[in-house]
Amino acid sequence: MKLSSCSFEKEVAQALKDGHWPQGCTPELRNHVGACTPCSDLVLVTQAFQRVRSESSHEEPGGSPGLLWWRAQLRRRNAATQQISRPITIAEIFALIVTVVVAIGFIAWQYQHGLRWASWWSEVTLSRGLHLVSMGSAVMNGNLSLLIPGVGMLALIGGLVVYLVTEKS
Amino acid sequence: MRKKDTTAEYAIPNVEARLISRIDEPSMDSDAFAGFYQRSAAGLRAYLARVSGNPTLADDLMQESYLRFLCATHPEGGEVNYRRYLYRIATNLLRDHWRRPRAMCLEDIPERLLAARDGMSRVDSQATLDPAMALMRPRDRQLLWLAHAEGYSHKEIAEITGLRAGSVRLLLYRARRKMARLLREQAADRSRA
Repeated sequence: MKLSSCSFEKEVAQALKDGHWPQGCTPELRNHVGACTPCSDLVLVTQAFQRVRSESSHEEPGGSPGLLWWRAQLRRRNAATQQISRPITIAEIFALIVTVVVAIGFIAWQYQHGLRWASWWSEVTLSRGLHLVSMGSAVMNGNLSLLIPGVGMLALIGGLVVYLVTEKS
Repeated sequence: MRKKDTTAEYAIPNVEARLISRIDEPSMDSDAFAGFYQRSAAGLRAYLARVSGNPTLADDLMQESYLRFLCATHPEGGEVNYRRYLYRIATNLLRDHWRRPRAMCLEDIPERLLAARDGMSRVDSQATLDPAMALMRPRDRQLLWLAHAEGYSHKEIAEITGLRAGSVRLLLYRARRKMARLLREQAADRSRA
């Protein structure tokens, strides 16, 4: 469709917007609008919309602004609470992932060396249950005694770092 | 009997209020919002009702528009820009509504279906504009309303709708031409009847 604009269109639009049409306009402009299709379309459509807009401005809108304002405050509060708790959740997830990854790595490492810890586990019976603590300390020698606290510290520090970074951002 | 203080139910505890203040302060207090609402609500509701053709939906979208407006950071420039921003939110909500899976796409809705729906839900059936509006596409209704009822420029309409100003000019020209034809046909039908 060809966009056929008219040089008087802006003038007519301004007159309509200011409420000067048709009394406040020159006879030449009125005659032009009578003969020009884009301008007569503009006048017809704008007047129809302005009438409806004027009628609707007298309608009472439903709803209370006070209630809307309070609902907005509650929504803001929920959003703020979610934003505050997000770093904690991320830190928890990160700590869990680190722990699981280290545990899987440890199991794989032990598996390559013949599952020595499995033999320790098989020795633990119900009759020996009371001696579990002393026995555990005896078994956890060498690498194992260093690895478990290390994993715990890594998970703790990792979670703390992620928390602090996301909190700052 | 002692009257219950209903505002206390909505009171925000100190700790949580501090949490909110960490995000940002509300940029409009309750009284200022009440004034803005009184000045803008009728126009916004008329826009939503005429474009959607559904007064109930218009009420819902109007409330959601104001809620999002209050939760957002307002643009600079006072009430004129506030109002434009509000229309932008409402326009996006309308678009989201039409794009929902259950609803049909904005551009794919048959005009006859819209006309039938509007015919059923229309309250002010005597209005001159409504039958013609019912035969227009939703986007054309938006453009026509924003341009001719609200008096926005092509650039402002482009900001509100997300279209380019050049596209707005062309689309508006087409929509206006169609609307003028429909209004003339209606006037001719009435004069014959």
